Amino acid sequence: MNEIEQTGLATMRDCWITGGTTFDLAPAAWQQIASSANPDERERRLLAIAAQALDIALRPAAPKMLKQRPPLPELALPMLPERLRPLLRAALKHAADARTKTRVATLVASRGFVLHPMDWMPSASYQESPDVYAPWVDWQAGVGGEKQSRREQLTVETWDDFYPAARRTALADMRRTAPALARQLIEAKGSSEPAEIRSALIELMRFGLGADDVPFLKSLSADRSGRVRELAGRLLARLGEHGNPGDGGTEDPTAELAAFIAEGKSGFIRRRTTYTPIRLKAPAQEARRGDLFATCYLGDLAARFGVTESDFLGAWQFGVDDNADLFLVRMVSVSGSDAAVAHLADTLGAGGGKPALLVLHLMARLDSGRKRVLTRQILKDTQNLHALNQVEGIEAGWLEWADLTNGQTLPALRSAVAGNDEPVKRSADQTLENLGFLATAATAEKLIGDVVAAGMAPAAPSLGLLRLNAALAGPGIDT
Amino acid sequence: MEFDLKTIEALAPDQASLSAASKLTKQSNWPRLEKNEELALIWGECQGSGSNPYRVVVETGDDGYKCTCPSRKFPCKHTLALMWIAATTPASFAVAGSTPEWVNDWLSRRRKTTSQPVEPTQGAGGKSIGEAARDESSVVEDAAAVERREAAQRKRAEDTRSAVSAGLDELDQWIADQLRLGLAGFVDNSSDRCRRIAARLVDMKATALAGRIDEIPSRLMALRSEERPDAAIRELGKLVLLAKAWRSAPDDPELRRLVSTSESREQVLANRDATQVESAWEVLGEKIESRRDGLVSHSTWLLDLNSASSQFAQLLDFFPASAGRRSNAFTPGDRFEARLIFYPARQPLRALVADRRGDVSSGDWPDFGVDASDPLAAHVARQDAAPWVTDCPVMLPPGAILLDDRGAAWWQAAGDPHGIALPIADTVNPTLLGLDLKATAALWNGSRLELLAAQSGFGRLDLS
Repeated sequence: MNEIEQTGLATMRDCWITGGTTFDLAPAAWQQIASSANPDERERRLLAIAAQALDIALRPAAPKMLKQRPPLPELALPMLPERLRPLLRAALKHAADARTKTRVATLVASRGFVLHPMDWMPSASYQESPDVYAPWVDWQAGVGGEKQSRREQLTVETWDDFYPAARRTALADMRRTAPALARQLIEAKGSSEPAEIRSALIELMRFGLGADDVPFLKSLSADRSGRVRELAGRLLARLGEHGNPGDGGTEDPTAELAAFIAEGKSGFIRRRTTYTPIRLKAPAQEARRGDLFATCYLGDLAARFGVTESDFLGAWQFGVDDNADLFLVRMVSVSGSDAAVAHLADTLGAGGGKPALLVLHLMARLDSGRKRVLTRQILKDTQNLHALNQVEGIEAGWLEWADLTNGQTLPALRSAVAGNDEPVKRSADQTLENLGFLATAATAEKLIGDVVAAGMAPAAPSLGLLRLNAALAGPGIDT
Repeated sequence: MEFDLKTIEALAPDQASLSAASKLTKQSNWPRLEKNEELALIWGECQGSGSNPYRVVVETGDDGYKCTCPSRKFPCKHTLALMWIAATTPASFAVAGSTPEWVNDWLSRRRKTTSQPVEPTQGAGGKSIGEAARDESSVVEDAAAVERREAAQRKRAEDTRSAVSAGLDELDQWIADQLRLGLAGFVDNSSDRCRRIAARLVDMKATALAGRIDEIPSRLMALRSEERPDAAIRELGKLVLLAKAWRSAPDDPELRRLVSTSESREQVLANRDATQVESAWEVLGEKIESRRDGLVSHSTWLLDLNSASSQFAQLLDFFPASAGRRSNAFTPGDRFEARLIFYPARQPLRALVADRRGDVSSGDWPDFGVDASDPLAAHVARQDAAPWVTDCPVMLPPGAILLDDRGAAWWQAAGDPHGIALPIADTVNPTLLGLDLKATAALWNGSRLELLAAQSGFGRLDLS
């Protein structure tokens, strides 16, 4: 279309918008085509020519500024083979929320693959994605600039070259292998970060926490962020450093908490000390006690009674007051030493039954071995299989067939599948999904066969994760 | 597979369904019949009256079933036919190691009931499978009756042509009125104005054209206000061109299809002049739209993998919206060998699957040698041949998706930051903004791109 035609078209367009005849405004060549007809027909002919000109001779006007995102980084693991994507999509579709979808990604990552970005992307805000996805988390977070997530060593010099998620992953790794180096980095760079990032960095100190960290953590008592001060205090408490040494006066919260606990003796021959929560008379007392458990530290409380943390926990009378038990376990999780956490987890786990479920509140502090013990305990007891869903941060794909047969889990599942009780069936579906994450490939395959034999539809959606798990059996997988 | 005919008889909603099912038990109606005994599933694709095949799956354990057809009978004739084949010729089903994604999709959404499989009952409510299987095609018309029927057909065709011609005269006048009154008012009031003329065109038997005009308001409203006048010029101008073309050749099959009614599937299959292409095809994606006239249009777009340049095919069906949501007929990314017959047109696009053969393994698209200097060259060529066409499939060269300052997405050719950029309809998956697109298949409607599928460094992307 030449310039005259373009100008003519623009004028005609303006005329048609308001209404009127455009014949006199049309380019001469167009007038010639339309001239032999009556006025209405002339307008229609010009309209047809204009429509065709708009369609083939003009192109959309692009905005001056179009923003391009950086390319999505490639990850360190290969993509899940194409043939397994239908199974994956079925498992993702059945996963109810971001957390369970992330567990699907975690299982796949544990077998050496990552998901296709159009099937699943880690959320920028949800921090439980497998570490291999850190570059995508950073990409999702939309961190500006041209820098890439780097695989080189994190140092003071390379600090700014790492996006936050990649930096967090690198620091967590470093805390496990070279905690002093990581601490020095946090010390050097953390102070210039905003409070939110600073507290996230301090939170990483929980990995490989040791006595060498005490001076730095103590220095944070003057930090301008209350959240950072609180975190540092808890970490110090875990190291046995009394964060809130009380004076024993009426304003001392530890003394106030201790007043809610009765010290006594039990046993006729060997007199043992016991600590029992006193019976409360009013909801206000209950609330106050809850607040005190949440703010005081275990070490301070034990010291108040003149015993070690482990002795205090050993003498606590579980089962007298369920709320007090729960508050205490949470307190141990927040401020107990590693030894106290391990002691409590072992004590509660060995007892089995309902108190053993309190270990779930220690989840963030438990090592991998104790998490497995807890899982096996839940499976063995069978009564609280729903608790499997609360076992956070546990590895995928380790549960053996023997772990399932060592208890009543399998018979319970078979019975639920064969029965007609819908709530029980739904609960079994949930358990199967959890087992789909925990089981080895061989266990997954066996379990599918077992529940199908019991009457479950072989293609049932709740078997989706188990099917994916079984299909991800190591050596046969190709990329 | 444990079906017997008595069970099918008991499941059938009525005798008519059984009779209809009996006609679908021929192997030729089922390009795909598969089973997975471990999962107790049988499934198949039945070539019904539409362009898109109906997908049927049955769980043999509890007689659960699903069919993508819009029938309100449950089970429908396709489901009954699949069960019938399973009962009588189980060897027709190929053993499949894994289930297709559409079967998995049904399974994942399925809420199992506790009811037991249907037990065959004596008599089954007056339904008889034996009666259904009896050949009903033995009625022979005499020559006089044939002559009378054909004469009536000719008369109807002549009446239709006269009515349509009168309808187009009204349309011409209506367009002239819109120009005289101003397109600003037309854009603001397009819904009422288009409804009125569309209703008149339905009365005058220009049904297809009426449906198209009914969609103009929604097409305009999908654009920004400053773009609407140009779009209105394009829409109305194309109507003028189509009306003129029809008047000059009212028997032209393409024009008749766009103005009044489409030929039947049987007529297309019987048309020896129709273009036939035997090739490997990939399902690019689907476009399902609810229309203002109460119909849902269901397009499946296919890409010819053996052609030197990018060639597309559209499988198009219409069904009533009241039939509810219909499951997809194909899964994007499916590849198969098939012979397609195209509806006659200047630039054939709409097609039927005449024969479908085996599946084709997945892989990258071939290099179609797309013109990077003008990504809309194919659109221009199509408009030159058939200027009344609206949506046009295009294969775009390497590019990327970018955002403007309003957050709207644009496709732009790679390495040409100041080159042509094409606006994209709707929002895009944010992940797409970080992917390099080696090639992108899309529909261009004159104003917006609707993405169908793309090839990228991360493999094939489903975008429809």
